[in-house]
Amino acid sequence: MKTKPMIRTLGVSTVILITAWACVAGDRPPQTATPPVLTAMQEELDRSMAGISKAEPPDYFISYTVADRQYSEVSGSNGALLSSGDSRARWLEVQTRVGTYQLDDTHKLGDRQPSWTSPGTTMALDSDIPVLRREIWRETSRQYRAATEALIKVQTSQQVQVQTAEGNAPDFSREKAHVSIGPRVDITVDRKPWEERVRKYTAAFSNSPAVLNSIATFTALGTNQYQVNTEGTKLAFGQVHYRLELYVQSKAPDGMDINRYANFDWLTPKDAPTDKVVFDRIQTMIAETEALDNAPLVDPYAGPALLTGRAAAVFFHEVFGHRAEGFRQKDINEGQTFTSKVGEQILPEFISIKDDPTEASFRGQMLLGNYAFDDEGVPGENVSLVDHGVLKTFLMSRSPLVTIPESNGHGRRQLGFVPVARQGNLIVSSSRTMTDAQLRQKLIELVKAQGKPFGLLIDDIAGGFTFTGRAQPQAFQVLPLVVYKVFPDGRPDQLVRGVDIVGTPLVSLTKIVATGDTPDIFNGYCGAESGSVPVSAVAPAILISEMEVQKKETSTDKPPILPPPAHDPEGHYPGQNNTAENNSPTKGQQP
Amino acid sequence: MKKFSVIAWIAAFAIPLSAGVPAHATHTASPAAARVQAAVPSTETDQTLHAMHDEMERARTRLQLPGVEKPFYFEYRLMDVDVRAVTASFGSLINSSTTRNRFMSVDVRVGDYHLDSSNFISEDGFQGFLGSTGQVGIDHDYNSLRQDLWLATDQAYKQAVTQMSLKQAFLRSLTKPPEIDDFWQAPPTQQIDPRVNPDWTSRNWEEEARKASEVLKNFPQLNGTRVNYYMVYVTYYLMNSEGTTLRTSRSLAAIEAAIDTQADDGMPLHNFYSLYLARPADLPDPETVAKSLAQTGTDLIMLRASPLVPDYTGPVLFDAPAAGSVLAQVLSPSLSGARPPLSMGSSFDAVMERFGGRSEWTGRVGTRVLPANVTLVDDPTLKEFQGKPLLGNYAVDDEGVIAQRVTLVDNGTLRDLLMSRRPGPDFQKSNGHARSANLSDTVPLASNLFFQASGSLDAAGLKKKFLDACHDDGHEWCLEVKRMDNPALSSIRQEDFNDFIGSIAGGLSSGERMPLVVYRVYVADGREEMVRGGHIEGLTLRSLRNILGIGSDSDVSTYMQNPAGGFAGTALGAFGSAQGGIPSTITAPSLLLDEIEIRGFHGEPRRLPLVPAPALK
Repeated sequence: MKTKPMIRTLGVSTVILITAWACVAGDRPPQTATPPVLTAMQEELDRSMAGISKAEPPDYFISYTVADRQYSEVSGSNGALLSSGDSRARWLEVQTRVGTYQLDDTHKLGDRQPSWTSPGTTMALDSDIPVLRREIWRETSRQYRAATEALIKVQTSQQVQVQTAEGNAPDFSREKAHVSIGPRVDITVDRKPWEERVRKYTAAFSNSPAVLNSIATFTALGTNQYQVNTEGTKLAFGQVHYRLELYVQSKAPDGMDINRYANFDWLTPKDAPTDKVVFDRIQTMIAETEALDNAPLVDPYAGPALLTGRAAAVFFHEVFGHRAEGFRQKDINEGQTFTSKVGEQILPEFISIKDDPTEASFRGQMLLGNYAFDDEGVPGENVSLVDHGVLKTFLMSRSPLVTIPESNGHGRRQLGFVPVARQGNLIVSSSRTMTDAQLRQKLIELVKAQGKPFGLLIDDIAGGFTFTGRAQPQAFQVLPLVVYKVFPDGRPDQLVRGVDIVGTPLVSLTKIVATGDTPDIFNGYCGAESGSVPVSAVAPAILISEMEVQKKETSTDKPPILPPPAHDPEGHYPGQNNTAENNSPTKGQQP
Repeated sequence: MKKFSVIAWIAAFAIPLSAGVPAHATHTASPAAARVQAAVPSTETDQTLHAMHDEMERARTRLQLPGVEKPFYFEYRLMDVDVRAVTASFGSLINSSTTRNRFMSVDVRVGDYHLDSSNFISEDGFQGFLGSTGQVGIDHDYNSLRQDLWLATDQAYKQAVTQMSLKQAFLRSLTKPPEIDDFWQAPPTQQIDPRVNPDWTSRNWEEEARKASEVLKNFPQLNGTRVNYYMVYVTYYLMNSEGTTLRTSRSLAAIEAAIDTQADDGMPLHNFYSLYLARPADLPDPETVAKSLAQTGTDLIMLRASPLVPDYTGPVLFDAPAAGSVLAQVLSPSLSGARPPLSMGSSFDAVMERFGGRSEWTGRVGTRVLPANVTLVDDPTLKEFQGKPLLGNYAVDDEGVIAQRVTLVDNGTLRDLLMSRRPGPDFQKSNGHARSANLSDTVPLASNLFFQASGSLDAAGLKKKFLDACHDDGHEWCLEVKRMDNPALSSIRQEDFNDFIGSIAGGLSSGERMPLVVYRVYVADGREEMVRGGHIEGLTLRSLRNILGIGSDSDVSTYMQNPAGGFAGTALGAFGSAQGGIPSTITAPSLLLDEIEIRGFHGEPRRLPLVPAPALK
């Protein structure tokens, strides 16, 4: 009996629509002529509002958003091309709110999970204004109908269910209008060279008998977003993003899945990584994979742990960043651990955290969470979340809290979802820094002081926005992937595997005793309630006085019975064959 | 691109016409299972075949878990799919894509032909870490394909071992073990067709879709439209450990359009157009397509202005195209003679039943199942009928068995059923009817179905019989159905299709059917008047016992069968589209049925949009 089909290509390919909001530079772009699609949107908006604002129930707010996406993808696996193509599509989202700013059709009912998907529709690509208007009208009618039905449910529910404090928060904030017409972006991609590259990158992975499967995916995304609303906002802006992802799968002898992942992100074609850079990374990934396959399982442990900058960045994103997303404070299903803590010391006083989407780069490296306007048309703001350890505020969309009535420009979504407050560029800074050598020394001091046999060094963590293979991780989940035992007696560090963090990771953050002096960056796509959005996290290495880990359950699925065909000592492999009809390089060849 | 997939797979299917003359399929002399794999000739340049052969040989000789039985059967299936899809609306482009993908599916069985690890649905599905199906490289690259096949074969073997032990445990809990074999041993077949390379550049499909769809601007009462051009080339590879090697090529070119509107009382209405041909080059020019779309629009506008149909029970005349659709829906669950999978949970059977997936003809071979003058034949070997190409044509089925013409019903008596390699209670052997789309599980499905009758009536005779029956029943008027709905084609959005499935799925097993173009015909003077808003209830296989009259006309209708999930062979199986559908035809006459119940619309009409539609020009 065959299993259900499983999609092996990376999540960024056909399954997830990607939107990238990395604006180049912070200045306001020059004003340009109004594109036809924006004209159609404005004309239809004016007409719709004139009609529906007099209806029963009346619309108090309408917005139209059109995302025009050009997308190219080239993907390879095990030395061959998997797919190569371009696509262009326009996606229309219409929001018709009925009721009032205080209580409207989007109000969350009791403890029912709200539907996070925003109905939208594909839309004509050409510039025929009457046809564009017809499509907008059709979607507006649909949305208005759905909104009126939802409002009836909300009004009934208000009467019968207990309302929490946050249930009294308004459903929609009042914001100023913003007008900005920027230039259109266009990408033209020559896929042929990338087809060659993904073949040879994945062929290089196949050199190692430890690698069972490898995938390399190049994507280029150019998005032009248009938005109008009845408050007077009118926006047009474009963004471009290029990405290369590498992914390998392996299995330890006991069946544990071992995966390694790497990504490169750039804004202009000239900044694409060279073959040399990529092959170096491939070699590192192979070495890590082979080492992890043979590494022993970790024993249960509680004691000092040092996270490198990269691991710390992911850690802060997952463990702190998601809790700072404002909408969670309204949701009675969430822990709401933070709601009441504004003004309190929640982290050591030498730690400060901000989320700043206005930054395009950090020390020369691009930041993926950069954008000028969020998906609700509000300018992205630099938000100080934690000031010397004290919680100041939350990331907000246009869904206000009782104590925070306005958006701070963090309402974001993947196409097809309703925007909610999401991170942009989470930047952690510290006023108690040490060099890496000093940190390591301090780790060993703590290990000795606590009488532990070793300490832990965590170099790579997977979370909700790093690739974790086929499992879709929850927000807040952190999976340490590359972990070393650090011995107080000077023995070399020992790689271990199967590490699972026990207890509430948030508590670990209160036990940070020192940080490194060199921040590291992680760029990724974060998946949460409003879908997958590009984000970054910047953090120095952190030393934690106590972290508890246990052994992860291994999968019961054993490694393959036979060796890989190309590494089978018993042959059955006619090496003299012309192995590919299109004369792509055979395995093992590198330029 | 329009896509109504219940399971999110990609590919689409089509049917034979490769560039050159296909080699004839041949059976090798020895009928016994060929355990040693026939070597691929060294002159063969297709690295795909070499990779499949070499990895299967390695697995056949060496793949074995310690202390566990070796597999007795291996099967590799690959599918190269090239798709060109363009969607337009009111003269504007919505979507345009060109894709090339290769999919792989590996099946490994332990046990033997009598009892094997297949066709068993356990409660805990085995989740392999990579799976035995997936997407693989499109380069025809030997190295990478062997690596992919190696992993998939390993997974498939482990799954088979687990499934076998669960199945054996389950069987021990039954009072009687099944007597029917799990798998019929087929003689090996070889057929290697030439490969085809699609040429998408010879016509500007974006321009054509724009031009064809622009005519719908002349119908300002339409709310939305979608005109889809969908063209696909498929190369299918099958290799198994019995010595079968197939490489077949096929193509399909389709134009599918959906249009919708709302009547003045708020009732949503829609119409659709479909055209299926073998090759993209065969598609008509946009002016011709525009004419057909204009007719579709005109019909919908007329429907929009028509009065509501009241509740009605009585004789209904189904014009040949409508009759074909009804027969396809009503007959298909009962045509398959394969035994369904064994299931640990009774929920599977219940779901199949709800979707009308229970066969009524199992165990009834030799008895009368249709009127005595009716013959029902399924013939995949025919390439055309009455000048129309038959897109259900193929030479070898998806399991490598040579296609056979099957006379299902002979003068009303059930003689035969469609078979795959899965034996059933009535028949053991395959007759080459195993079909699938996008490497789904193969099931016996109709290909070119012919419903024919002797002693049929010409058009005037049938009409007279209709009006006489109407008069005898005491009606002032009776209903004539000229066209049945196909929600897979008439829904513009996935949610409309989902709504439809949700609303009627419960009624499918009790015979709920959706007519689209219905006329009220007055007994007194034969006057015709279109009516809207009804659905048929209780039209099942049983209703075919009340055939009052059969026309001498015949209409060849091409449609896509939907193989997704449990739909294959269920009543929803008749509602497919070019993307992921299985090309099939049904040739049927006009049918006059008695005691048909049509229910009018009794609900709350949907609100009209508050703001009228903006002008299109």
